[in-house]
Amino acid sequence: MSETSTATSTRKAVRLEATNHEGSLLGKNVSPAKFEAGKDSGFAFADILFAIDLSNEIVLGDAFPDWRGNLYDIAMVPDLSTLVEWKPGLDSVIGDYWLKDGSPVPICPRNLVKRLVARLTEHGYTATVAVEIEATLFEESVQEARGKGYRDLTPLGGSTGATYHLARSSDWVDYMEAVVARLDQVGIPWEAWTDEAAPGQTELNLAPTDPVRLADGWARTRQVMREVAFEQGHTVSFMAKPTAGFGQGAHINISLQRDGVNEYFAEDGPSELMRHSVGGLLATMAGATSVVMPQITSYRRLVDLTGPPTTVSWGVNNKTAAVRAITGHPKYSRLEYRLPGSDVNPYLALAAVLAGVLAGVEGRIEPPAEVTDMAWCLPEDCGVERIPDTMSKAGAALAADPLLRTYLGDEFVDFWVASRRWEWMEFHTKGGDPNASLSEWESTRYFELP
Amino acid sequence: MSAPTTVAPPPVRQELVHVAIEDDAAPLVRQLGRTLREAVLAGHPLDELSRSGGTVAVRSHDTPQAATITLGATIEVSGGVLAEPDATVVVDLHDRFAATEEPTGDAVLAAGVLRALRRPLPHWREAAARFWQETRAIPGIPDVLVVHVTGPDGPEEGRFGEGATAYEVTGPADLLAGVFTGADDFLAALGAGLQVKGTLSQLSVMTAASWKVRFDV
Repeated sequence: MSETSTATSTRKAVRLEATNHEGSLLGKNVSPAKFEAGKDSGFAFADILFAIDLSNEIVLGDAFPDWRGNLYDIAMVPDLSTLVEWKPGLDSVIGDYWLKDGSPVPICPRNLVKRLVARLTEHGYTATVAVEIEATLFEESVQEARGKGYRDLTPLGGSTGATYHLARSSDWVDYMEAVVARLDQVGIPWEAWTDEAAPGQTELNLAPTDPVRLADGWARTRQVMREVAFEQGHTVSFMAKPTAGFGQGAHINISLQRDGVNEYFAEDGPSELMRHSVGGLLATMAGATSVVMPQITSYRRLVDLTGPPTTVSWGVNNKTAAVRAITGHPKYSRLEYRLPGSDVNPYLALAAVLAGVLAGVEGRIEPPAEVTDMAWCLPEDCGVERIPDTMSKAGAALAADPLLRTYLGDEFVDFWVASRRWEWMEFHTKGGDPNASLSEWESTRYFELP
Repeated sequence: MSAPTTVAPPPVRQELVHVAIEDDAAPLVRQLGRTLREAVLAGHPLDELSRSGGTVAVRSHDTPQAATITLGATIEVSGGVLAEPDATVVVDLHDRFAATEEPTGDAVLAAGVLRALRRPLPHWREAAARFWQETRAIPGIPDVLVVHVTGPDGPEEGRFGEGATAYEVTGPADLLAGVFTGADDFLAALGAGLQVKGTLSQLSVMTAASWKVRFDV
């Protein structure tokens, strides 16, 4: 983004931005003088930002590492290559979290991605990634949505089913046109937008780029979509299931290049590198589920025949499988990782995918047999495992996954598993209802955040 | 009154009636399973109830939490209430399964289950010793638990474990027994008179320890 925008002399404030572990874009506005004073050394943020749940409760249940203690400060160091003019008078910049000794905070989502990208670089590979962002739009303002408990809202653009229909009403079109105009202004490359599988649902495709830049753009795109909704008096939700109807995901596409050449391409189908990447992604899929499906509601998506994958499976051009291999051309040969929900932390989603790819490449992991049939509704004895379908099962799988511990680090894994146990406990003991199609507790907690 | 620093191992306990919970169980199911196991071990007459069979729905009075206890050769606990039970009890999960309304259905069955769920707690010292033993494997758990008891008989103190890191807990005897057995929620107890001395990190780990004894997670 740095080449498309610069800080301005009319700056009145700078917004410091970074995600917490839940994926919410956090930050604060500082004066130009404060920003100039701290842009190199960083800005103090309480480490508690990594231990607050979506209801502002301190998450407990794990042993804090040394750097976490009695609400110590950590340093948010801005990455000046992300500095943009967000709107007249306000610049924004994304940063990472660092400890006082100069080392990265081990559970900082952006630093995790940077570390894994660097490990790929050691092998001579660069990763190109893209994402399909799904969200649901409602006519009501966020104040009206809150007043209704986020229930019985009116889908923007009509209440009929969708997918590629151009007969959307102008309110929906106006919204999306305003969103992509804002993306252009702040330098986030996008490729396409369309209506999606449910009333009010939209899909916005960000252009392929490197993982850190994509995650930055993804996090900011959610912010743009929210701000435009606020301005137009509408509401947007990135819940994995904002209604009891369709869910929404965030498919990630990835390819690996060496010296500018797509190493996933081979004349006769998946290259060896692509095969090994698939092997790693499937070997880590059960544990990665906890990361890419972070919330209670994330798991309500996992219904056979409705779109999301339900089995640890892959196949060439098979959209019913969890990993779709797209082959046949050096330009577009890639893997589509179809598991993440739209409520995922962008950085952690990419970290999980990169970890799986690295595990496969470094371990030369051969994938299981390709699923050439439909990957939904498979018999239990067919040798294809089901994706963990609850937060607790996924957390247990992550805790027991030695590969993800290697690539994401023990500290992150232990922290994340504990935070998911907290979330599971909050849901069950504070008013969530596992037997409801979508409980009020979930709507209150997840509709507006992350 | 001071206490020995060596913790005697708890007596070997034999389960007379097997209590089973479903896989991937919700907290309430885990809490019921643990409490019923403790009741069986404490000699409550659940075997009589088991011989007669039946199903009892247990519902939280203030949240959607619900579970079904099926009495039989094995006592099974499962989440939700999927079929018409023989009896229903509505309880306060933050008040040791105290019934908040009159049970419905089979009154004998309901009363028997409620009695088992509300068994008397052991002495705080026994509860603390068992708590400390059961939570040793939790990463980051302090080495030593120091318990200060406030009560009508004057101050008492217990010290459990040995090592460099200690955690101090102060409170009335009944509340301490409740926390150490898992009958009471640790964080809720902090608002009910429990006091602690230690780091925030240790508080976090103690929360995990309390979940271990309350929910077996």
